[in-house]
Parts: sequence; C-alpha cells; structure tokens
Amino acid sequence: MLKYVGKRLALAAVIAALSVTLLFIIIHLIPGDPARTMLGPRATPELIADLQLRMGLDQPLPVQILIFFGNMLSGDLGMDMFSNRPVATIVFEQLPHTLALIFASIIWSAVLGIFLGCFSAVRRNSLADRLTGVLAVSFIAAPAFVIALYSLLFFAVELRWFPAIGAGEPGDIGDQLWHLVLPSFAIGLSWVGYIARLVRASMLEIMGEGHIRTARAFGLPEKWITYRYALRLAILPTITVIGVGMGFLLSAAVFAEIVFARPGLGKLVIDSITTRNYPVVMGSVLVSTILFVASTTLSDIVNALLDPRIRQSS
Amino acid sequence: MSKVNIEWTKMPIPRRRFLQGASALGLAAGAGAGFPISAWAEGSTLKSRTYADMRSLDPAFSQGVVDEEIHAPIYSKLIQYKPGREWGWQLDAAASVEQVDETHIKFSLRDDMGFTNGFGAMTAEDVKYSFERIIDDDLKSTNKPDWGPLDHVEVTGEREGVIVLKNAFQPLWSITLPYITGNIVSKKAFEEAGGKIETSAVAASGPYMHKSWEPKQKTTLVRNPDWKGEKAAFDEIQIFHIDDEKTAEIAFEAGELDFTRVSLASLDRLKSSPPEDSTVDEFPSLYYAWVGMNVENDKLKNKKLRQAIQHVIDVPSIMEAAYFGVAKPSTGIIAPGLAGHREASLVPAAQDLAKAQELLDESGAAGTKLAIDVLNKQANVTAAQIIQANLSQIGIELEVRLHEGATFWTLGDKSAGDQWKNVELLLNRFSMTPDPYYATAWFTCEQVGVWNWERICIDEFDKLHEAAQAEGDAGKRDAMYRRAQDLMEETGAYKFLTHEATPVIYRNSVKPALRPDGLPLLRYFAKA
Repeated sequence: MLKYVGKRLALAAVIAALSVTLLFIIIHLIPGDPARTMLGPRATPELIADLQLRMGLDQPLPVQILIFFGNMLSGDLGMDMFSNRPVATIVFEQLPHTLALIFASIIWSAVLGIFLGCFSAVRRNSLADRLTGVLAVSFIAAPAFVIALYSLLFFAVELRWFPAIGAGEPGDIGDQLWHLVLPSFAIGLSWVGYIARLVRASMLEIMGEGHIRTARAFGLPEKWITYRYALRLAILPTITVIGVGMGFLLSAAVFAEIVFARPGLGKLVIDSITTRNYPVVMGSVLVSTILFVASTTLSDIVNALLDPRIRQSS
Repeated sequence: MSKVNIEWTKMPIPRRRFLQGASALGLAAGAGAGFPISAWAEGSTLKSRTYADMRSLDPAFSQGVVDEEIHAPIYSKLIQYKPGREWGWQLDAAASVEQVDETHIKFSLRDDMGFTNGFGAMTAEDVKYSFERIIDDDLKSTNKPDWGPLDHVEVTGEREGVIVLKNAFQPLWSITLPYITGNIVSKKAFEEAGGKIETSAVAASGPYMHKSWEPKQKTTLVRNPDWKGEKAAFDEIQIFHIDDEKTAEIAFEAGELDFTRVSLASLDRLKSSPPEDSTVDEFPSLYYAWVGMNVENDKLKNKKLRQAIQHVIDVPSIMEAAYFGVAKPSTGIIAPGLAGHREASLVPAAQDLAKAQELLDESGAAGTKLAIDVLNKQANVTAAQIIQANLSQIGIELEVRLHEGATFWTLGDKSAGDQWKNVELLLNRFSMTPDPYYATAWFTCEQVGVWNWERICIDEFDKLHEAAQAEGDAGKRDAMYRRAQDLMEETGAYKFLTHEATPVIYRNSVKPALRPDGLPLLRYFAKA
C-alpha cells in the first residue's frame, strides 16, 4: 500500500509541476501589460518601467519560470503588486471560502445523491425509481447559474430566508454556514443527479453479482446485503467521481462567487487574470492545481484502501 | 453655504478667491444648508456598494473612485465636493481658503480637526506632508499628475499655510483639493508607518474610521469617536465590493444593500416597479464613449473616408439598443455641467446617409473592409453591431473584434509593439473627473501611442490644453475647451457617442448625498 501511495504522490507532483508550467506560459503569452493595467492611466513610463523591473518581466520567460519555481520551493509565492501584500497571504485568505463552498456542496450532494441512488436501485423499475430518475436527470440538466439566479430570487429576494451576498461575518460560524446554503445548493444540485445515477447503476451491477446471490442464499437480511455489501462496492466509482469533481466544483465556484458576491479563490483568479496580476494568478492557480491533484490522488488512495483489487493490480 | 461656494461652471472663476469659511460654515450649519442633517440615530448601519475591491488606504496610491469612496469618509480635506446636482465644493478641514494670486493659495485649518489613535490635532505640517509626499519622486505615487504644478506648501503657522504652485492650475479646485490628492493624512502616523501604508489605516481625520477590510467582500467603517465636527449619521458603514451590477441589484432587492448603482438594462423595470421603500434616481455620468479612427492606419489616412464614417454612424440607434434609451448622445468628451461642454457637435449625432455616401464617393474608398476593436462588454458589443449595420449601408464591411480588458487596453500602446498599426476603428470609453483638463489630457501629441490611439497630433489643440489649465476666466476657458473638441471632430477621427448615465437606487430610510455624476459621498449620507 505504501508503494502505491508513494507512486501516486510522485505522479501528483509531476502533474502539478507540468500544469503550473503550462499555465505560466499561457498567462505570459496572452497580450496585456500588467504594469500598465495595475498603475492606471496616470502612470508615467518611468513608473511602468520600474514596476516591470520589480515584477521581473524584463527577464526571458524560462528565467521567470525558474525564478517562480525556486521561490515557490522556498515557500515564497511573491508579492501582489497592487496591494504590496504577500501572495500567499492573499491566496490563503480566500482559500477557506472556496474550500467551505466546495465541501458543503460535495457533502450535501453526496449524502442526498447516494440515498437517492440506493433508493432507486432497491426499487428498480418501480414508479418511485422512475420518478427519482426523472428528478436526477432534471438536476443534471439544470444549468447551475439558472439554479443560482432563481434560488436567489426566490429564497433571498422573495422569501428572504437566506442571505443573497457575502460569506458571513468573520468568526461567526453560524452566519457563515447560513451564507453557504444558497451557493452550495446552486453548484451542488447537479451533483445530486450525477451521484444518484452513478450509485443506482453501480448498485444494480453489484446486486447481480455472485457474492450478493450467495449472501441472499445464506438468508442474510436484504437491508444488510444492500447497505453492508452492495453499497460499499457501489460507492467506489462515486469516490473517484467526487475526486475528479473537485476540479469541476472549483470552476463552478467561480460563478457562484460572482453571482453571490462571495470571496474565494475562483473570483481571485478571474480578477487577477483580467488585471494581469501575474504573481496572484500563479499563486492561486498553483494552489488550485494542488487542490485538484490532491483530491484525485486522495480518491485513488481511498479506492485502493476500500478495494484490495486496486492495490494488487498496482 | 451658497455664498461661499464658487461654482465651477456657472460663475466666472476670479483671479482671487476669498472664502470666509469659518463664519460661512457656521452660518450654513445654522441654516441647515449644504448637506443633510444627521438623524443622530444609534445602532444604525449603512450598506453601500463599490464595483471593485479596495486597493489601498494610502491616498498616494488610491486607484480612483473605489478607493476614494472609502478614503473620503475617513480622511478630511481642505475642501470637499458639495452633494447636489451641480458641481461645487464646500469647506471641510479648512476654516478658510484664499487664492492670493495665480500660484498662491492661503489656507487656515479649523481648530477642531485631529487624528485618531492619539496622533493629535491636524496642523499645517500635516497638510504640507500630505500634499508634498504625492509629488515626491521617491514615493512613486501614481496620482502625482493630479497635483499638477505644485511646488511646495509653506507653513506659516500651526494651522496656517500657503500652497505654492509653479504656475496657475485651475483643476486645483475641481480635482486636486476635493478629490484623491486632497486627503490630509497624519504626518506623524505615516512616518511611523514608514512613509506609506497599504490596507491598514493608521489614523483617521474624518467622521468615520476604518474598522476592517475583508478582501473581495467588504470594507467596514465605524463612527470616529474623536471627531469633533457634525456627528456622523451612522454607527457603521459597510461597503460591499460587488463587481456584478445584477448581483448588486438582487442584493438590494433582498434588503442587503441600502444604496447601489444599478444597470441601465434594469432601470425601466426598477422605475416601473421599484422594490418596496426605495427610490430610483438618475444622474448624468462624466464618462465619455466614442468611436475613434487610427489616422495612421493605411486605410484610414483617407480623411473623406473617416468623415463618411462619422456621418453614417447613427448614435440615437445606439442609445436605444445599447443603452436602453437611458443615455443621451454626447457632443464631445466634456459632459454637460462642466466648462467646455458643447451644446452641439459639428457632426450631428443622427445618421446622414446621403452625406455619408457623398463623402465615401469623394474618398474613392468604396468597398473598403474595416475592423472595429471593442472591449467585451454587452453595451459595446451591441453598439458595435449597430455601427456594423450602419457602415454596411454605404457598402463598408466591418469586422467586430472583441477583446477582454487587459488585451484591449494595450491595443494602441506603442510600447507593446507594432499592434497599434492594425488598429482601425475603436469603440472606446474613458473615465473622467469633474474638470475638462482631465478629458483633453489624453489627446495631446505627447499621448500619441500612449492613450491617444487615434494618433491625432494638433499643435493648436496642445496649446489650448496647456493654456486652459491656467486660464482663470471661466468664459475664456469654456471657449478654449469647446474649440479643442471642434479640432478633434474636424479631423474626422472621432464620432462621439455618449456620456452614459448613472442610475442609482436607495432605501427610503436613507438620505443619500451624491455628486452630480451620481457617485456617493458617504460621509454626508444621513438617515431620512
């Protein structure tokens, strides 16, 4: 198992390094002068040249990449040229908001999705199964931004049950959770559908396998067979999907952060790209990439822990 | 208060200004004129919105209106913009301000002004420090141009001093003193902080003080307990940083904002059915949008072709489709209410197809294919599509090239390579401050390839721009800026579109204090 984990971590490091290098090149190749954007129209050519120098933009691109990785390894993500604050501080200020949104979305959608998937599978071809199927597909089909806007209009404007903007008062966990309800609902709803369909399909496949038939032949209770044996195996693909889904949720968080005026990594990346604030773009992209790679690696490791066949095959 | 206020556009600006500020302020306060009277309510919070996050609490590094909305309530200035429908100013930290001659402005400070955190009374040394640090090359302040020809500030007493200019500078009264560079900071506090600050305030001198900044979310100001002036109306002001206007509108409708600018697209809906207990108001904006033509581009060196384009673009159609009928066609780069505004442009806003066809025939450029570069905002895209349709009426095929912000803003930049040569038509929009000098500054010869992307260089224009900055006679100054815009238009390189509009919405429980262009002066907001 340790060998497997080691391999996965090494691969994760390579993937993260390649992704960040690629993004570094793309960001620097697109037109737009960060110094001019940052300093605004009143900046003199001397001020612009000075900032370009301080940002290291006078260096060739490969040198800039090497400097970035060198600094990164020593824990220095650079300085934000707008606010003169360390990029690491800025990124780690925003990160908890994004993580809270992603985890809230994953948790509630996984709980509901797994329940609906099991519910459908054990009532295969019944009216309840068909209704659940229709519901799940509807969730998948509904664009998240539509859900976000209508939930805002209905729950925040019309009923005033939930707040429309912000992430809540710092230090007030209750308020922060309250502010998570609508955004996590908006980006998590389609995942309920995905997970429900996935769990149903996996459950049906597993329920037809030999060891389940054997369990039935031994007279074990159906509930025991379903939740103890079938679900444990059926949930494996769901864990993989959730791991990969972290990346999608990171993207979805961008629009949720804009629509709900929430702070977060997605909004930080967008704002930084539009202003060509390279140090902040790279810092936030690096952290997002690490998050994504870490979540897929973690899902692989959890899968290996749950399924000995994966460990053995690796 | 009206007696001591000098209107920039309605009255000639005299060579000598003399303001008996202290007595006038007392009279005005007694009469309740000038700005709203606070309700003195406890436990109250005002929730406002800016379209971007705060960048810096240091006036030397303020990035414009967003930072200034936060700075203005926490820092005092010698003079402040006067809320209302006409541009003007009123005394703030100054008890009096006197223009002794073209280059000397004498001031005395009120004796009740001071700084928080134990930094003591506001003195003339603080004023000197605040103004001179902006022009100090070592500080590298991006706002240095706003201080124009400042030479130095002479301290003549504990609370008295003289601002000494190298030459006359009229925008001093409209941009410099009442805006970003006019904020007075504590010399001692800033020096203790190393000469400049970032996002943590060190000492406030206004009715509010900075409490917290939650990046990408909000800035909170609280009532300054040391403030000796008229008590601030709210215990707390929460300024939410919301870039998306639609989100801000929803937040307002959900009761989470008390004041916000709204989108032009929503104005009709909000006016016909405003949210409960709220008021929608419209203000003219100072922004200016226009279609520019790069006269050094091979295709557009042909002046007749440029003039044909000027006449074929139908601005009223653009106003209807792109600005929802809310904005009005402009006559130039200087908005109504400011010196130099023209009542009419040389080329009418509406399309003159026959004239355009005639000019095109004379140009010999029939069948030309052109491209227009556009920033990817909805209003711009719609406007570009209408221009495309307009040009097709005289057989000109127009390609619309969309760009995101950072790319668009380097298109005409000569330091970014040769891409400026490919610029043909541009749909452009500049922000503006309430002085015409700020508009003409970008179209001089020196600015060719910097912000002057039409690359027009007119000697007379440059001379007018220079001379008008110093001209003390309002009538002459007005004529100079009108002439400058005539010169721009005569080149055929400009078709002026609009100054846009600033619709705002506010809760009826709030009495907003707004500049004539609809921007909030939060320190003067009161309870209704």
